[in-house]
Amino acid sequence: MEPTRAVHATLADLLDRLLNKGLVVQADLIICMAGVPLIAVNLRAAIAGMETMLEYGLMRDWDAAIRAWECARRGRDGSAIADRPVPAVTCP
Amino acid sequence: MSANQNEAARYVYCIVEGRERASLGNIGVDALEVYTIASGDISAVVHDCPAKPYASDDPEVVKQWVLAHQKVVDAAWERFGTVLPLAFDTMIKGEGDRGPDENVVKWLESERAELRSKFERVRGKAEYGVQVLWDPKVVAEEIVRRNQEIRKIDEEIRTKPKGAAYMYKQKLEKALKLALEREADESFKDFYKRISTVVDEARVEKTKKVENSKQMVMNLSCLACKEKAAALGKVLDEINAREGIFVRFTGPWPPYSFVAAG
Repeated sequence: MEPTRAVHATLADLLDRLLNKGLVVQADLIICMAGVPLIAVNLRAAIAGMETMLEYGLMRDWDAAIRAWECARRGRDGSAIADRPVPAVTCP
Repeated sequence: MSANQNEAARYVYCIVEGRERASLGNIGVDALEVYTIASGDISAVVHDCPAKPYASDDPEVVKQWVLAHQKVVDAAWERFGTVLPLAFDTMIKGEGDRGPDENVVKWLESERAELRSKFERVRGKAEYGVQVLWDPKVVAEEIVRRNQEIRKIDEEIRTKPKGAAYMYKQKLEKALKLALEREADESFKDFYKRISTVVDEARVEKTKKVENSKQMVMNLSCLACKEKAAALGKVLDEINAREGIFVRFTGPWPPYSFVAAG
């Protein structure tokens, strides 16, 4: 598997790094203008439809997922378990 | 002392190794000239700006700024070999009768030892994002197949009348929920082990919400040289081959996640 940096597929990953990571300039020694423009946070949400969830490793909200599984299995919505789709985080 | 908006500041993109003033051309945000300010053998890659953060109501404008910022860091990476990237919108301004250039130099001097050790940590390496997603429906199917106890409950449902069937369904959902949680936990441990042994460093990040049918079970930032990145690619192929599992592999990024304090 090769890593990708294609903008259309990884803008959210880039934003996450640019806005939340990186070297920090100490405020006491140097007066610096830091601060994430609020719009950038909205941008991330708008572009990627992502938001931070609970702690890593544990996703507690299984209920909806399981109900959906149940539904599909009992054939109520008529759908079969889908063929493997192309994995991607949606970036409209 | 509050910021005077007309005061000059230096927008800092990243730190590189270099002794002399170098120009990277007019590749900065708003096509400003990007150049370096040196303190000894360490330099800051900057452009001149007013002492005011970049902010806009227009997401498209912010997107262009962000992409321009990354282009500069990439250019510096290409030219200087190793970079310590800063977060977006970091600016250093003057103070009293000390101009912004002096403050940049002063900051580099005071951080020298820290910066040196950070250069060594990331030299020859890049950052890669690794996210493992799964389709819980597919994994649940597999659990029902494998797990005798759960399969029994599932079979019981078919034979029961409506009222009792409902209770068994509750029981099934509860059992599946636990089984999925346990599976997520074990998968995480397994994947983390296999990945962290082939890369130089692996850092656990918060999982994110993704498209409806899938869930993220692991989010890592990895630091790796080229050879290890290739080995990582192979491990990810193995993980991706599993039923219901999807791997996102992004990069190479400048080492944003490996330059902060601690």
